[in-house]
Amino acid sequence: MSRVAPTSGSKALYFLCITLSAFLLYLDINYKSFERAKNLYKSFTISSSYLVKRITIDPFSYIYKISKEKTKLIEENKKLKQELDNSYITNFILSRDSKFFIDDEAIKKFLDLNKINKPFHLAKINSFDVEKYFCCSQHRMFIKIFNDKDVDFIGSTVINNQGILGQIIYDESIAEILLLTDVSHVIPIISKNHFCNARGSGKPGVITCNYSKLIWPDPVEIGQEFFSSGMGGIYPSNILIGYVSSITSLDDTNINFDVHLVSDPLKSNFIGVLETL
Amino acid sequence: MNNIGYIKLLVIIFIANFLESFLAPILVKVYINIPITFLMFSFAIYKSRFNTNALYAFLFGLYVDFISSSPIGLNAALFSMMAYVINSYSNTFKLFSVIQICMFFSGSATFYIGFSHLFINLENFSYLILFISLIFNTFLFLIISMLRFYFPSLTIK
Repeated sequence: MSRVAPTSGSKALYFLCITLSAFLLYLDINYKSFERAKNLYKSFTISSSYLVKRITIDPFSYIYKISKEKTKLIEENKKLKQELDNSYITNFILSRDSKFFIDDEAIKKFLDLNKINKPFHLAKINSFDVEKYFCCSQHRMFIKIFNDKDVDFIGSTVINNQGILGQIIYDESIAEILLLTDVSHVIPIISKNHFCNARGSGKPGVITCNYSKLIWPDPVEIGQEFFSSGMGGIYPSNILIGYVSSITSLDDTNINFDVHLVSDPLKSNFIGVLETL
Repeated sequence: MNNIGYIKLLVIIFIANFLESFLAPILVKVYINIPITFLMFSFAIYKSRFNTNALYAFLFGLYVDFISSSPIGLNAALFSMMAYVINSYSNTFKLFSVIQICMFFSGSATFYIGFSHLFINLENFSYLILFISLIFNTFLFLIISMLRFYFPSLTIK
């Protein structure tokens, strides 16, 4: 049986479907109407893949480990790896404690005030769409925070042992991180006399800044260090964000420069989440 | 591959999407993008003996939007458009040579990449990716279509 060209009725149906798709696209892009459904699907897939892995792969790997008579050693190794990641992040905070907090008293006050017995919560990366990270503008990461208390982490800073990664924008069974490189993310950064609101570029590891020579007459140089200013109220101040990697003149007065980030989200499976005040 | 079942196609598309999410981060480093999910769906419609309903394409597009975390409606619109084009030219394709069909599919794939990047990657829109993907996809499809001459058992009837 040969195929016939679409009739006017089916053409109208095609037109209707395309129009409806365009309408849904408009709703999603402008109003994020389907964000909840997407997050639900995401958390469902993460939990189910975890469950499936636990039922199917884990028993076999456990038997394999027993057969190798190294179970204890492997467990210990895993624990040590987790502890090591934990200590890397602790060291990162301690080595910069004067930047996260004004003095020791401030740390103590902060911890007492919030009944915190540790400066950060360890979290494990559950899902990270590397395809989107390399190709597209939306850079998000989904994590599972190891936390017994009922704390709302929305707005919390996320770090790894290299520096700041981003902030939490959604916190239910899994937490969603908006990375610094996401195009919808803005972080105020500072260096010497320069201040700018750096926007995510959508490229991996790069954020971008625009400034006018009329406002900031001092030139920016390649390799110049930029730090968080702390002015947005989200991130701690004076944490190294990155180095200037390229500078482009847009016109006679406006300059655009890229900052290459020091922190790489692909570096470690474990990250730290700071509690917000 | 005549009139593949709904469930079968759903599973194939799910696997194709998984494969795409695995391959894309590697290929994008050399400016290549292969929309495997879109191509699988297009091929299923192309090989079908009957015209595909618009709702069928629309719902499959929505399904892909959900599983690939694209903006909702993007794939639904593109799948509907592709289904319409293939259905409209289904008889004309019989006059086409293998090379022409390969070029049609690589052109469609490039259109898909360009159109979807307008929504998900406008800030870093790259003509280089489009150009290299067009060339790469054309050669890839030609190689795939030539396989049936060397391995007749692979022919999809």
